[in-house]
Amino acid sequence: MIKFLTLEHSLVLLHDSQSVFTSDEHWLYPLFELEMFLKESAVPAGEFFLKDKIAGKAAAALIVRLGIRNCFIELLSERAIPIFEQYGVKYAYHQLVEHIQCRTEDLITDKMSMEDTYLFLRKRAGKVQGTTLKINSLIVEIAGKRILDNLNLELERGEQLVVQGENGSGKSTLLRSVLGLNQPLQGSILIGKELVGSMEWRKNRVQTGYLNQETTRNNFPITAAEVVAIGVSGLKISESEREYQVELSMRKTGCFHLHDQLFHQLSGGEKQRVSLARCLCQNARLLLLDEPTSYLDEKGKDELGELLVDLSKNEAPTMLLVSHDSNWTDRLKWHTKILKNGRLW
Amino acid sequence: MAYKNFEKRAIMVELFTYPPILKGFIVLILTGFAFPITGVYLLRMNLLPLRFMLMHGAILGGALSLALEVNPFGGTLIVNLLLVLLMTRMSRSLKADPGQLSAFFMVVSISLAFIFIYRFQVPAKDTLSLMWGSLYTLNNIEFIGTLIFSLFLIFFQSIFRHQLRAVFFDADIAKTSGVNEPVFYYAIILITAITVAVAMKLIGALLLDSLLLLPALIASYHAKSYRGMVFWSSFWGGIFASVGFLLSLLLELPASSTIAVFASVVFLILILTKKK
Repeated sequence: MIKFLTLEHSLVLLHDSQSVFTSDEHWLYPLFELEMFLKESAVPAGEFFLKDKIAGKAAAALIVRLGIRNCFIELLSERAIPIFEQYGVKYAYHQLVEHIQCRTEDLITDKMSMEDTYLFLRKRAGKVQGTTLKINSLIVEIAGKRILDNLNLELERGEQLVVQGENGSGKSTLLRSVLGLNQPLQGSILIGKELVGSMEWRKNRVQTGYLNQETTRNNFPITAAEVVAIGVSGLKISESEREYQVELSMRKTGCFHLHDQLFHQLSGGEKQRVSLARCLCQNARLLLLDEPTSYLDEKGKDELGELLVDLSKNEAPTMLLVSHDSNWTDRLKWHTKILKNGRLW
Repeated sequence: MAYKNFEKRAIMVELFTYPPILKGFIVLILTGFAFPITGVYLLRMNLLPLRFMLMHGAILGGALSLALEVNPFGGTLIVNLLLVLLMTRMSRSLKADPGQLSAFFMVVSISLAFIFIYRFQVPAKDTLSLMWGSLYTLNNIEFIGTLIFSLFLIFFQSIFRHQLRAVFFDADIAKTSGVNEPVFYYAIILITAITVAVAMKLIGALLLDSLLLLPALIASYHAKSYRGMVFWSSFWGGIFASVGFLLSLLLELPASSTIAVFASVVFLILILTKKK
C-alpha cells in the first residue's frame, strides 16, 4: 500500500526508503538531472523508486529510458499509462487526468520509437550539443560562375541533413561558405546567433567542426592523438586538460587504441573515426562533413555510418553532410535535400 | 703516429682560443640545432621553390649592397624579406601557385642582380662569394643577431607548437580549430626567409640544405609523430654542425663543405639501411 504524500521536491529518488536524489527543477529537467545522477551511480536504475510530481507521455518515455522500474506520480496523464505498461514499469498515482497541459505531450506521436522520442525531448530541452544554422538567400560565385543561387536553409539544434547532388553542383562550396572559407556575393549565414564573418563568429569559430576529403590523404607524420589535439589548438588550456580532452574524445568515438599510431597509416574508416574525435574534442556544435565516404571501403562506410548515428543520438551536434553516395546516405535515414541549380530542393 | 695525433689535438684546442673560430663554433652549434626546425616548415609547407628564390634574392641583395657600399648581410636579409612578402601577398590575393611565383621572382632577382653588377661595376667575384658563406667573418652584431634569432626560432616552435601542428596538418582545419592560420603562414614564411639569409652567410647558398633540409628529411624517415619530427630534425642538425665542424678542423678542410659531406654521408647510410 503506497502512502500518498505531497512531494516537497519536484522529483525524489529513493533507495531502500532513503532519499538519494532530489530536484526542484521544472518540466522535464528533473529527469535530465536524474539521468546524470544515474550515470554516476553504482546502483542499477531498476533498484530505485522514483517519486515525481507530474508525468505525461514525455516524462513516462524518459522514465522508461532511464531504466526506472517503480514509480509514484502525484498527477499522472492517462497518455503515460500505455508507455509504462508496454515497458513493464510499475506505477501508482495520486490523481489521474485525461491529459496534462503540456505542448510536448501533443508533439510525441505513436509512430516515434523510444530512441526518437528521447532525442526529440533532449533537443526540446536544449540538452543537445547542436546549434542552429540559418542560411538566407545565399549567392556564391567562383571565378565568375554562380555556384549557389539564392540558397536558403534552416537547421534546428541537433538536426541532421544530407545534401545530395551531382559532382560540381556546389555541395563543397556550400560547406566552405558555412565555414567562412568562401566569400558570399549576397546573403547571410547564421550559426546560432553569430553571423559568419563577424567578429563574434571569429572568436567562436571552433563551434564548427569540419571533416574534409583531403584529410584522408594527408601523409604528414602525425599520430592519431596529435590529430585529435588539433581540435583544441586554438585554446589556452593546460597540457593535462588537453590530454584529458583528447582521451575523452577518442574514447567516445572508439579510437583510443589508435592513440600513438601514425595517422597516415590508418585505414580510411579509422581516419574518419579519428577526425570525428577531433571535432568532438573541439566541442563542435555544428558538424560539416564533406564526402566522408570517399576513399572508404564497405566496412569503413558501415563503421562511419554507425558512428554518425550514435553521435546523432548522444552528443547530437547539428550535422550537415554532403555526399553523392546515395546508397550510403539512405542507410543513415536522415532528412535529405538535393542541391541543383544552386538551390536546395 | 701517436705523437702526431696528440699534436693535432693540441692544435685543434689552440684554434678555439682564436675568437673568430670560437664565435663560428658557437654560432654553428646553436644554428645547427635551431635551423632544421625551419627545414620541417619548408618540407611540410612545400616551400622548396621558395628556397631557390631566396638564394637568388640573396645575390641581388649582395649586388645591391656592394653597389651601395653597405653591409651585404643586411642587404641580403632585407631583399629576401621583401621578396617573400611580395610573393606571399601575390600568391594569396591572386590565388596563384607559390612555386610558379617563386620561379618568376627567382628569374627577376638574378636578372636585376646582373644589371646592378654591370651598371655599378661591382666585382662579380665578391657577389658570388655569398654562395660560399663566411663562417669566420661574423662581426659582433651578426654574431649576437644570429644567436638571438636561433633562440627565437626555438621559442617560436615551443610556444606555438600546437597551432603550427594544426597549420601543417591542414590549413582549413586549422582555421576551423580557432587558429589564425594566415598569421602563422606569414610568420613561417618570414622566419624561413631570415633563416635562409643567415644560413647563406654561415655556410653559403649552395650548402645551406645540409643545415636546413637534410636533418628534416632524415627525421621524416623515422619520426613517429610531429613532435618527433621536430625533435629529430633538431638533433640531426646539431650533430651535423658539431661533428662536421670538428672534422673540418681535424682534416683542415672548409667547415661548410665538411658539414655538407658529413650530413650527406649520414643521409645516404640511413637511406640505404632503411627497412622497407
